[in-house]
Formats: sequence, C-alpha cells, structure tokens
Amino acid sequence: MNGSKTHSLAHPWYSPANCLFRWVRLLLMGVALVTNACMAESSEPAPAASVEKLHAGLLDIMQHGATRNFQARAATIAPVIREVFDFDTISRVVTGRYWSTLSATQKDAFTRVFTRLSIATYTENFKSFGGERFQTRDTVSKGPNRLVATALTSADGTDVTLNYLLSLRDGKWRIVNVIAEGVSDLSLKRAEYTAVISSDGIDALIAKLSAKVASYER
Amino acid sequence: MYQPIRIKTLACTLAATLLAGCASTPPVKGSDPSDPYENTNRKIYNFNDTIDRKVFTPVARGYVQVTPDPVRAGVTKFFDNVGYLNVITNDFLQGKVTQGASDTGRFLVNSTVGVGGLFDPATKIGMPAHDEDLGQTFGIWGMGEGAYLMVPFLGPSSYRDLPDAATSIALNPMTWLGGVGGIITWPLGALHAVNARANMLAASNIRDQAAVDPYTFVREAYRQQRQYKIYDGNPPMDENEVNGDSGDHHPPAAGAEILKVY
Repeated sequence: MNGSKTHSLAHPWYSPANCLFRWVRLLLMGVALVTNACMAESSEPAPAASVEKLHAGLLDIMQHGATRNFQARAATIAPVIREVFDFDTISRVVTGRYWSTLSATQKDAFTRVFTRLSIATYTENFKSFGGERFQTRDTVSKGPNRLVATALTSADGTDVTLNYLLSLRDGKWRIVNVIAEGVSDLSLKRAEYTAVISSDGIDALIAKLSAKVASYER
Repeated sequence: MYQPIRIKTLACTLAATLLAGCASTPPVKGSDPSDPYENTNRKIYNFNDTIDRKVFTPVARGYVQVTPDPVRAGVTKFFDNVGYLNVITNDFLQGKVTQGASDTGRFLVNSTVGVGGLFDPATKIGMPAHDEDLGQTFGIWGMGEGAYLMVPFLGPSSYRDLPDAATSIALNPMTWLGGVGGIITWPLGALHAVNARANMLAASNIRDQAAVDPYTFVREAYRQQRQYKIYDGNPPMDENEVNGDSGDHHPPAAGAEILKVY
C-alpha cells in the first residue's frame, strides 16, 4: 500500500495539474452516479424488460436445444418463467367463477400444476433454433396494465405477433396474458378449464394438467 | 379457416345435410350461449376427429415426407392464387378499393409471370397477399357471428362464416372447368385437401399437445382468429369484451380485463 503510494508520487507524470484532473474526474463520476440514481428513481421498471428477459431465456434454450435435454432446458428456463409470470393472477382468471369455490389446498395445487405446465410447454416448444429473433415493439398503457407488442421473426422473414399483457405486482411488471396472432392464451384456457371444471370438477382438471406435464417430461 | 375440401358436389351435399341437421335439432342449453348446438357440434367434432386421425393426418404426413418444401410451397401458392377471386370480391364488398386494385394486380401477375400461381412475384413488387372472405365481409357489415357450427369434414364455422364455402367454390375457376376438365378437377381437389391438411399439421399438433378439452380449444381459437381477421389484426378495445368472454357467461372474476385480445 505504502509502496504503491511512493511509486505514484515518484511517477514522472505526477504533477499538480494531473492531481486536479483526477479531482475533476472524480467529481464528474460522482455527478454521473447521482444522475443515474435520480433517473432510476423517477422511471418505473420497464414492462418490456420482463418480456425481454423471457425472450432471452427462450433464445438460450432454443440455441442449446441440440445439446441440452428436456430436464436441462427446463432447469434453465424455469427460474425465468417463475420470475416474469404472475401465476397467482393467471390461476385466478383461468378458473373463472370457480376460483372462489376452491379450497386453499386446491388453489395451491392448481397454481403449482399450472406453473409446472407453463414451464414444460415452453421447454418442449422452444428446443430448436433456425435463426429466429424476437423483436420488441411499443409498450402501451391499458388501464393499470401495460401491453408490450413483440414479434417472433423467423429466418425467412415471417412474423408471428406476440403481445404480452403485464401487471405491476410487488414493484415488478409480470406477464398475465400472452396474445399470439390475436388468440388470447388466457381466454382460451379459461374457456377450456371452466368447461372441464363444470363437467368433471377441479380435481379432474388438476389431474389432466398433471398428466400433460408428465407427458412432456417423459 | 380450415377448409381442406372445396369440391362443388360435396359441399352441396354437406350444406343440405347440415341444414337438415339444424332444422331437426332444437337448440340445447349448453355451457355457452353462442354455441347452442354444442351437443350436436361435439358429435360432429368427434366424427371429424376420427376421420382426420385415421385418414387425413396420416395422408398429410406421408405427403410432407415425400414432397420437398419448395414443392409444397408452390402447391400452396397455386391454390391460394386459384382461390384469389374470392379475396378480390370481398375486398370490394368491404369497401377496400385500393386493396382490391392491388389484389387484382396480384392475381394477374401471379397467374401469368408467376406461372399459374406457382410462384409469387407480386409480393416482391409490392402487392402482398391479403386474407378476406365473405364471413369477414359480413362481420364488417355489422353482422354478429351467429351460432357456432361444426361442419362435417370442413371443421369449425358459424352461421356468418358458412356462406363463404359457397362463394369461394363459385368464384374458383377450377369449379367451372367441367367436362374434360373434370378429369383434372378431382385429383386437384384431392391435392388441395391434402396440402391444406399438411399446412395445418403444426396447428393440430399444438391442439393435441395443449388442449385439455379439444372441442372448446378449437372453438375459442377459431372465434378469436376470426375476430382478429375481421379487424385485419387490430381488434378494437371494446369495453364489452371485458364481459364477452365465452365459455363462462357469468359475471367475470376480478381481473377479467386481462383476457382481452389486443
């Protein structure tokens, strides 16, 4: 420590002018830090960031589809999916009017199996890469929610429109619906799930979803 | 729209069967008010599904295996082009004059320079493909979708969408070849059916993989896609849609606005 100081003082470039330069530089760095901090405070976390985090994760498992098996890809994407999706809200919505009739155990079982199903579905469907890229377009407000428009563009230039609806929870924007080419995933699932609950009950639905997860993981 | 078969006679027979079916089947109270024929529809769905799994899917898979991708792309372009008079007619019926003019140019260019529609030079010179049909026209004119219908062999439709089956056949030049032309019409019709089914393999794989109730899955996906097409990919932010979620016609749970299609 002492040695390095001696070395610094003994350096041929050392001069009062250089010392001043260092002070100015430090001052500028300080200003930059304060400015950054203020900016971070004034702007809320971007909804698009959550969507891009998902897309980055998906690209990762797509590009490693040939070398990583299902379990390895699931292990990569699972934490991302758990972080960026709001499965509590989604579970409530897809079970419609039946949600309030479920016991705490059933609610918990449904949310858990639905989360696992989402992870398994992404893992199964994003396993090959042919030059596709995700493009984030604009973000618009929908009441308290935000809609992030994106597209999955394949190598030949064809676009699949993927719109994400995000809701702010615990200071973080989380995905609550995916609308692919005008088909709302949640609306589709809600129609199906309420039909199954109405005819066979929630336990039958949970069993069916578990069977789906198992068929992916096989 | 899933229409693998567009053969005049078959369609007429089907329309007759369907109308007879509707006349003799009183609406039953299903779980969804816009699907009053759900019981009958489900039976037809199961019938279609059985035929599809035993015949169409294996044939379509075989076809994909023996034909190179560019050949299938050419076949798809050919049938898209030969059915394009229906698109042009509906452009004008919807008041989309500029699009109608562009689509007319597209049809002429692809039919000639594009070797009878096998290639698509029109897109490269700024005349892209559009997707219009009579059901979309009726939608734009303000007609509601009417009851959901599952049509034998043809798949999902509705009172609003079904008449398009007739106009698309009437406006298809292949229909009018007649006489000697009949010799090529039937094999071409079969090729059209197989190719169309092959193009749907990815979609039916998704259905098989994702659906817990395939009938409801197909119905909802069909309806939402039709709505999306009517508005050319920009469905309005209709506040009624908050309560318009089908499959559950009870007061929506909190947060139902997130079901909306944007």
